[in-house]
Amino acid sequence: MARRVGIVGAAVTPFRAKWYEKTYYELAQMATREALRDAGISPREVDAVVYGIYNDIFQRACIPEHPLQGVLGLPNKPGVRVSNGGATGAYAMSVAHAYVAAERYDVVLVLGVEKATDCFDFTSMSSTPEVIKTIGWSGDSFFEQKIGWTASDSYAEVVLAYMDEHPGDLKPEVTARISSLLSRQARDNPYAQRQLDQVTPEEVMNSRYIVYPFKELEICVYSEGAAAVVLASEERARAMARNTGTPVVWITGVGEANEHSFAGRNQNRWGRIYSHHVAAQRAYRMADVTDPLKEIDVVELHDAFVQQLEISMAEMGFVPPGRADALVEDGIMMPGGELAVNPSGGLLYCGHAVGASNIMSAWSCRNEMIRKGYRRGLVHGTGSTIAQYGVVLLLERE
Amino acid sequence: MRARSARRKEGKAEKVIPLRFIPDREAKVRGVDGTRCLLMNDAFYTFFERSMGEFSPFFLAIRDEKKILGCRCPRCGLVRVPPFVTHCPDCDYAPTELTEVGQVGRLISTPPITYFATSLFLDRAPFGRGRVVLEGADTALSVMLYTTTGILTPGILQKGTEVKVVFRDRRLGEIADIFCVPTAELTPGQIATPGLEESELPWARARAPKFDRPSRDEVRAYRECLREMRALARAMSRSRRARSAILGWKRNIAVRTKAGEFAMVIDDGDLRIVEKKLRAPDFIMACEDPRALLDGLAYRGAFTDAVILKKIWIDKNEEFNTIFKLDRLARFLAREKKERAARQT
Repeated sequence: MARRVGIVGAAVTPFRAKWYEKTYYELAQMATREALRDAGISPREVDAVVYGIYNDIFQRACIPEHPLQGVLGLPNKPGVRVSNGGATGAYAMSVAHAYVAAERYDVVLVLGVEKATDCFDFTSMSSTPEVIKTIGWSGDSFFEQKIGWTASDSYAEVVLAYMDEHPGDLKPEVTARISSLLSRQARDNPYAQRQLDQVTPEEVMNSRYIVYPFKELEICVYSEGAAAVVLASEERARAMARNTGTPVVWITGVGEANEHSFAGRNQNRWGRIYSHHVAAQRAYRMADVTDPLKEIDVVELHDAFVQQLEISMAEMGFVPPGRADALVEDGIMMPGGELAVNPSGGLLYCGHAVGASNIMSAWSCRNEMIRKGYRRGLVHGTGSTIAQYGVVLLLERE
Repeated sequence: MRARSARRKEGKAEKVIPLRFIPDREAKVRGVDGTRCLLMNDAFYTFFERSMGEFSPFFLAIRDEKKILGCRCPRCGLVRVPPFVTHCPDCDYAPTELTEVGQVGRLISTPPITYFATSLFLDRAPFGRGRVVLEGADTALSVMLYTTTGILTPGILQKGTEVKVVFRDRRLGEIADIFCVPTAELTPGQIATPGLEESELPWARARAPKFDRPSRDEVRAYRECLREMRALARAMSRSRRARSAILGWKRNIAVRTKAGEFAMVIDDGDLRIVEKKLRAPDFIMACEDPRALLDGLAYRGAFTDAVILKKIWIDKNEEFNTIFKLDRLARFLAREKKERAARQT
């Protein structure tokens, strides 16, 4: 039987459009310093580190994590880097969980960092086309990169395929209300890149198309920043909690799946994001969750796109497929509803500092559980082409 | 080989990285909260002589024979296009064999349309990218999608739309050598003939819209719009955030409306609305009702969408890039106002 694993510390740096005054070394150390302070421990008490860094090119270095071992004060300790597209942070936490659960290490730091917007396109004199080009190197290099593959158009493929199957769902009025809601929730997150950017549903509907069917205010915003969580074995976690007075939030379920990336007969289940379904079912089984809507209080979901947020919620069993708009129309995720979804503002409004994003979500989920007394929370990550990767972690308070 | 070497000497060969993308070696200093932060122009580049390996027959068939190949598993019968496995992963890695498939097929889902592209594709947007199951294939080939009728708008291509593979006139042996267009835009002869080339397509030419003489009310409305646009342009030029949307960008745009013509001048952070006819504009925007432009600047509607919906016409597709900047300019001004108000509360 595996050991219980708890989160005993967490922190994020502010997520910003660009950090002119800091490199990713400094961002990594900022988040680590605060997370260790939160856990009430020094770097000497950390047994191992898992780095979540998505893209070598963003950091402008292959194996960008190697300088961090010294920067974080963890010499001669094990360090492993996870790079799993958008789901990097969630997969990094999953790896750290496995290390502790398997009794390899007692205290493991998970550090996610990304310096994404140093990329700059000198022809348009702006950063974004170069950032999406850099992410574009993640598409299939023989068949997709050269025909304009982007993260947005690959997620749009999945969303449109879902809309072909369920033409009445994902209504623009509903996606606009979700974006507006997330913008208001970000108001309470002082680390959010768009903390003061509250938008109305009308503004969302009026915002320009980026990639059809996605409008500008339905898409996450690229960020720079870092996030860290400290995981510990039950015995160590309880000792740290006694010291800090902060309750342990346990990771009671972990599930992940990577789908087929090709489409057609016997390939990807087109029109679904099946990996999110499989990941959730695995996590639910591990944590003995049978009715997610009743048993889960708060969700921090990887909302790369609002439409994908809705589909992911359906795949994870909160609403039936084809009726994802019930999230809003039945008030499920609206203020006073059954479920808090992305109280951080999500990746849309807090920001998407890729390797750090899911760790930021875990930071927020834990905060909400401690502050508001929620019993169970869910952290979700997605990544790669056509939302191919899915990761779900279930958090629980005693 | 001789011809290629000669071209290289003359500097006419196409480069794997076009020179326009390459910045000068220089650095600049940006002040942030009283500190001086250094920004260095840089690149992270590697050149390749890349092996196309087992995909060589597929790409050579496109380049030299204008054919599309797939691979058939003799055990399960699945025909995969592109032929991305030499051994079937579903049948204990049974060896597959190459087979030719058709050049007409159907989209397995409604394809996305990229309006805001990466820096490498800015001049090719808008384009669709979708998955087509060609006749004789079981899996879907990812392809670029175009319409010959002008700007690609939602609705032209949908799940089940029949499309045909078109070959670029100049082919290197890569996936970008092909794209698809709806068969509804082709003649029966073109649909039936394999190896259709890009230059055989009836591409629509961009034609400027023509306007009737304006009424007095329309002239009055035009003057009012112009006044409001000028005020917005002044506010934008004073806003630090809005200026950042057009820093380093210069465009002289001739704007033609039913009731009058003016110039929109983007000048490295400044936006000016000037009542004059430009002799040699960088590009032309035409729209019957100037309120579409005012709505864009006032952040009540997007320039991008107005172009897609044909309320605003532009004479150069590649200037979508400038259109995005105008949208961003409007959003940044609105956002700065909002943030200022939020800070005060």
